[in-house]
Amino acid sequence: MNTHQTLKIIDNLPDGELVTSVKHWTNRLFSFRIERPISLRFRSGEFVMIGLPGDNGKPLYRAYSIASPSWDEELEFYSIKIQDGPLTSKLQNIKIGDRVLLRPKPTGTLVLDALIPGNRLFMFATGTGIAPFASLIRDPETYEKFAEVILTHTCRNIAELKYGKVLVESLADDPLIGELIDGKLKYYPTITQENFKTKGRITNLLSNGQLFSDLCIKEMSAESDRAMICGSMGLNNDMRKILEARGLSEGANSRPAEYVLEKAFVG
Amino acid sequence: MTYVVTENCIKCKYTDCVSVCPVDCFYEGENMLVIHPDECIDCGVCEPECPADAIKPDSETELEALAEIECRVFQKMARDSRSERSTYRC
Repeated sequence: MNTHQTLKIIDNLPDGELVTSVKHWTNRLFSFRIERPISLRFRSGEFVMIGLPGDNGKPLYRAYSIASPSWDEELEFYSIKIQDGPLTSKLQNIKIGDRVLLRPKPTGTLVLDALIPGNRLFMFATGTGIAPFASLIRDPETYEKFAEVILTHTCRNIAELKYGKVLVESLADDPLIGELIDGKLKYYPTITQENFKTKGRITNLLSNGQLFSDLCIKEMSAESDRAMICGSMGLNNDMRKILEARGLSEGANSRPAEYVLEKAFVG
Repeated sequence: MTYVVTENCIKCKYTDCVSVCPVDCFYEGENMLVIHPDECIDCGVCEPECPADAIKPDSETELEALAEIECRVFQKMARDSRSERSTYRC
């Protein structure tokens, strides 16, 4: 690429959105917030492409679930840090006042519109897969549509649960959501590589019934329950089998059904 | 991995896939849409949205050949200055 071409690309880059806060949760996890363009509309649970200018001047984008709810004036993201990752190796160093590039087309299947009405909504997350659910559990519409919301979050180490734990605990005092979630939101963290009150993969805890007995709730059924999955490819495949064996079928925006899963997730 | 459009798309005019694609990587072929393999980010959102069940991951063995054909379609499109982005978008 010659200099003229490089300059042309940089000239064409959008300004990006201002970073308003950054919080590092562990040496592998951080969250940050950016200003939200007035024109950006999205449904809670959707993802968007965000990025930074690459070394060659060309923007480098990756899909990130928006962790903030659709009513929030800012956009929040929750990210892993990969030392040699093309984007996260740079993104992890952003500071307040920096700018992050944002493409203007949010999309995704982890949305309430892709589910048919039901009584309970199960959200199954591993690692940074909690991000879209961080958005949905802060959206009043979630509690208008479902009588009970069960959020499970599985990580390798206890420290990796902190983002979700702090968020869930903060909701009780939230002026918008606090009253709505009273008794409706159940949080079920599980750990795979350290001793913890609920230890093991969520697929095992679901299959052996421990999830239900621990929370004192009845087993899942296709008639009354809906589910959303956001995790590794392994979790997606295993959960798909478990849910379909229970009679749930995969939904989409154009074809709402009993469960949806996020394939864009790579964290 | 990327996603490919199979023959179920032929003469389909739903374009739900185009609406949900975050990177607008669908292009209009002669009688069906094709996914640009270099632009597709493998997010998979289009797959369940397709009413014709025409979009599949190219990791499905029988679709590898189709993915190669679609690659050649784009090589041809790159040479053809008349080709334009899909005009199906609502």
